Amino acid sequence: MAEPRFIIEASEAKSISQSTGLTLTQLLPNIVKSAQPLARVPISKFHVAAVGVGISGRIFIGVNVEFPNLPFHHTIHAEQFLLTNLSQNKETQLQYLAVSAAPCGHCRQFLQEIRGASDIPLLITNSDSSDFTSLSQFLSHPFGPHDLLPKHVPLFLEPRHNDLSLLDLEASIDDSIAGSNGYTNQLKVAALEAANESHAPYSESPSGVALLDSSGNVYKGSYMESAAYNPSLGPVQAAIVAFIAGFGAGDGAAEYGELVEAVLVEKEDAVVKQESTARLFLSSISPHCRFNVFLCTSNNKIKN
Amino acid sequence: MAEPRFIIEASEAKSISQSTGLTLTQLLPNIVKSAQPLARVPISKFHVAAVGVGISGRIFIGVNVEFPNLPFHHTIHAEQFLLTNLSQNKETQLQYLAVSAAPCGHCRQFLQEIRGASDIPLLITNSDSSDFTSLSQFLSHPFGPHDLLPKHVPLFLEPRHNDLSLLDLEASIDDSIAESNGYTNQLKVAALEAANESHAPYSESPSGVALLDSSGNVYKGSYMESAAYNPSLGPVQAAIVAFIAGSGAGDGAAEYGELVEAVLVEKEDAVVKQESTARLFLSSISPHCRFNVFLCTSNNNKIKN
Repeated sequence: MAEPRFIIEASEAKSISQSTGLTLTQLLPNIVKSAQPLARVPISKFHVAAVGVGISGRIFIGVNVEFPNLPFHHTIHAEQFLLTNLSQNKETQLQYLAVSAAPCGHCRQFLQEIRGASDIPLLITNSDSSDFTSLSQFLSHPFGPHDLLPKHVPLFLEPRHNDLSLLDLEASIDDSIAGSNGYTNQLKVAALEAANESHAPYSESPSGVALLDSSGNVYKGSYMESAAYNPSLGPVQAAIVAFIAGFGAGDGAAEYGELVEAVLVEKEDAVVKQESTARLFLSSISPHCRFNVFLCTSNNKIKN
Repeated sequence: MAEPRFIIEASEAKSISQSTGLTLTQLLPNIVKSAQPLARVPISKFHVAAVGVGISGRIFIGVNVEFPNLPFHHTIHAEQFLLTNLSQNKETQLQYLAVSAAPCGHCRQFLQEIRGASDIPLLITNSDSSDFTSLSQFLSHPFGPHDLLPKHVPLFLEPRHNDLSLLDLEASIDDSIAESNGYTNQLKVAALEAANESHAPYSESPSGVALLDSSGNVYKGSYMESAAYNPSLGPVQAAIVAFIAGSGAGDGAAEYGELVEAVLVEKEDAVVKQESTARLFLSSISPHCRFNVFLCTSNNNKIKN
């Protein structure tokens, strides 16, 4: 296999399939194995890779990411990384899922945010079996969106627009905001976009983060909520997924020290507030990264 | 049923069983129903109660607790509340578990920290069935302690002592420490005890919190780790469980505003650090509560140095 990356385009997936004589699903164990070294696991050394085939024919990769010096709820699981990667690349359906080890209960729960989650065919590559089993076998009698939401609410991977706009006044600043520059504005726009795409139907507190690296690249991530609350993925974590996946592969890539600025956009009346937690997280992984928060509100309210 | 509380003593459980002619397990759906109103769910309004029968014959109750204005990872699930309650009351085995709704995956995972979790008989009281089903049916091919730890490491509800002692110097202070008083010392001792009981074999970063209310009562809570990391329960959350369960029943009880002081004890070289998160959490739920952190170390480290 070529150097591993976080997305394999449909045409390339097809050509690998043709040249190896293996179907996409038969290739998955190899792809999982190649992706495991990309996991960032300084605490557990337990490398997990999750690989998904989207309906577009693209193959997506997720790995687990640990953050020393922070509580464990900041950890990104491989399945969460994968779903975030799918979402950030506008993939609307997950057709097959292969993971290097049985997903934990936290992830089996997080996966419930996808419509038809119970039917997702899952392959565990470290097991004796090479058969796919539907996710329902792994989480029977699931608790999920159907327990809390009306049927018409968009679920994860489905398009949504939260109809948010930035407030006029800058609500939360750090001492660098006086030097607010073109990048900050660009980050504000990206973070607002991410907030507008954020799946947060339980708290109705969508939020988004945009990160800027030293090369001027912008990465955005949306808060992604779980019906079971705790498995929800924070917006900074989602942006970190974009950073790691967007930066390329290999051990020297995507160092957090390369982040120079971050912006969070969240609602002024949010029942779930990200600001302090985002600040704590960023100051731990990237102490020199500037951080600003801008508040937004629902356009419905603006009419008032 | 009498006014609901968070523990029913073995003798009382027996006497309820005798007077109703129902076995303990037959009583569980009623106990679950009586406990649901104790859930603190300002965000979801989704009241969950989890009731457990311990090997001692005592019945324990857990409810879910939500915290507005904070990220959702601070939420305490009913099953987590129950396990914390069991642990704080030195119950060594969970014999039966009844919950008002199917446990979510986060909780099915958290439950794996108990030895023999797969065999725990579980009853879901809002389902058509009145039969117990083993937890293994709800989380097949589980990921758990067995994937990461040697067999001899104590699991949840099993006794442990982490062999920690406080460092001599006070590492993290707020402006009230100059008036350090008898309560602070008492809280330090309680938080250290809680850190020594803390189940944290994955990070080897045990920690404990002690809370003081305006009546002078002390509540302690231990950090409780999950093999899957994210479902871990923070030490302040565990202490809040002790506060809610210990303060009595009813809706007007255990108001966070009654907390006047909190102490966290954690290791100086911890790979999982609780201080900033604990401070954030406490300042949100109880802004006037004083908060101090004291660092500890493993006695192994002390002796060698």
